[in-house]
Amino acid sequence: MSTHITDSAGSTRSSRVGLATRLTRPGLTVVIYLLLALVAVIALVPFFWMATTSLKTAAEAGTYPPTLLPSLPQWHDYTDVFNAVPFLTFFRNTVFYSLMVTLGQLAFCSTAAFAFARLQFPGRNVLFLLYLATLMIPTSVTLVPSFILMKWFGWLDTVWVMTIPGMLGSAFGTFLLRQFMLTIPRELDEAALIEGASLFRIYWQIILPLVRSPLVVLTVLTVMTVWNDFAWPLVMLNSNNVMTLTLGLAVFATGGTEEYTNIPLVMAAATMTVAPLILIFFVAQRYFIRGIALTGFGGR
Amino acid sequence: MRLMSSRSLATVERSSTWRRSFRKYWPAYLFILPNFVGVVVFLLFPVLFALYMSLQNWDGVTTPQFIGLSNFRNIFGDDIFWRALRNTVVYTVLTVPTGIVLSLAVASLLNQRVRGLSFFRAAMFVPVVTSALAVAVVWKWIFDYNNGLINDVLSMIGFNQIPWLSDPAWAMIGLAMIGVWQGFGFTTVVLVAALQNVPQSLLEAASIDGAGAWRRFRSITLPLIVPAVLFVSITSFISSFQVFAQAYYIGNGGPDYGTTVMNLLIFQRAFQQNRFGEASALAYILFAIIFVVTMVQLRVSRNATNAASEFEV
Repeated sequence: MSTHITDSAGSTRSSRVGLATRLTRPGLTVVIYLLLALVAVIALVPFFWMATTSLKTAAEAGTYPPTLLPSLPQWHDYTDVFNAVPFLTFFRNTVFYSLMVTLGQLAFCSTAAFAFARLQFPGRNVLFLLYLATLMIPTSVTLVPSFILMKWFGWLDTVWVMTIPGMLGSAFGTFLLRQFMLTIPRELDEAALIEGASLFRIYWQIILPLVRSPLVVLTVLTVMTVWNDFAWPLVMLNSNNVMTLTLGLAVFATGGTEEYTNIPLVMAAATMTVAPLILIFFVAQRYFIRGIALTGFGGR
Repeated sequence: MRLMSSRSLATVERSSTWRRSFRKYWPAYLFILPNFVGVVVFLLFPVLFALYMSLQNWDGVTTPQFIGLSNFRNIFGDDIFWRALRNTVVYTVLTVPTGIVLSLAVASLLNQRVRGLSFFRAAMFVPVVTSALAVAVVWKWIFDYNNGLINDVLSMIGFNQIPWLSDPAWAMIGLAMIGVWQGFGFTTVVLVAALQNVPQSLLEAASIDGAGAWRRFRSITLPLIVPAVLFVSITSFISSFQVFAQAYYIGNGGPDYGTTVMNLLIFQRAFQQNRFGEASALAYILFAIIFVVTMVQLRVSRNATNAASEFEV
């Protein structure tokens, strides 16, 4: 039927529709913004509550009705945390693990992706199918056997267990980068090959610069995973000197007889655990959102 | 490669023996090697080893004892397993559909060409990037019976306090609330992207034909965003079936097994009771359920998409 509409008829109709929507528009817009604001508040309120509680005295945290903001901000909880637990060590460990695993992922996922996307060799398709199949494996299946494996390696409660398994790269990262490398025109490699460039040079100087943004996506996803992971360090680690922030927080918040007597202290620890990643998120927001939306990578 | 295909078949066959091809293709294998070692040692081996363990009676220290399918038989006769499975299903049913319906509503709002889209999107995304454990620490405080934020607010507007953490049913509802809250941003972002891809011209044409907002949504928007809805439903399902950190922290499965979900049971069997064989069997049961449900979801959606497209034509 659309072919029958003449220009004039079409324009009068659409202007009528436009008028009708414009009449209700201001009211509707207010409602839309109010609803969206409500959703944003719900998303952020726990963080607000965490941060404000961390600045209250233990007594004020327990008052009813609750105070919205601390009457007198108590910054000492933040220094107290460092005295109560080796929080600085946890922080340093987490940064170190994130860095090592990210570097490893970038290096070895990109080399493997390069081979899968740009090179031909016998067994490539079979191997790639194997990689695809492993993407389906839930982490809960590998956790228990990995513990046994790490025990055999003698890596339990060491930095090795937190770095080596992640550093060799993942099927997931390889798959992600391969998909992007496939979109690069093949003429580029062929031209370089004719001019005598080595495979490594093609990988390093032609392909890698062209997948810069997927590499950033892989970086933020990896940092996020290492920073937030709980089950793996919980199972593998035991000593303060190798613990991550997330595990340290759990031990600190549940440990001892003082559980929940000093809520502001626990909230200060929680704030310091999540703050760095939230900061990174705001800097590299685009990559986080793109990466997670693209891959469905919740991780949890 | 082009050179190879022009040779005679016999030569190709001879040259494609592993030794020859390795000599020719070793750079490619070298590029894959580190990653391949990682995948084999830390992914493939554990999966197969778990399968082996699921057939053993093993405390992780002494020599494993082959017991066939006894672990599975014991599990199916174990009330706690059924409780954990039920809890996991309840958690999934409480979180996944709720999350998707709410996200779809919010995504539709965000799609109204609002200003500040990136602000709202970022705000909703903050819970997605924060650690599930840290979030659980904060929510446990918010759920506190005497001093928690929610009960304080409830008291202020004249309601009774809710025993969030001491009643099994409320604990599960609380866990689901955290789940929806944390997964919400991800689902919304995906659905907003899908909605933005719905051609404006189609919607305008329909409204010229007199289709109301609901009708336009049902007949045009929804069929076009089915793939995105399917994508988020599968990923949400997979992650909600594997919920762990929140359940571990909020009540370590309690009170009264009210929040004992599958992953937590696996953890307890393996690392608190040293029943590694049984834990591996449980993990495989979880794996099988996730696999089957994902396949069914894919099949159903393919039919739904087909049906929708036939209807539209």
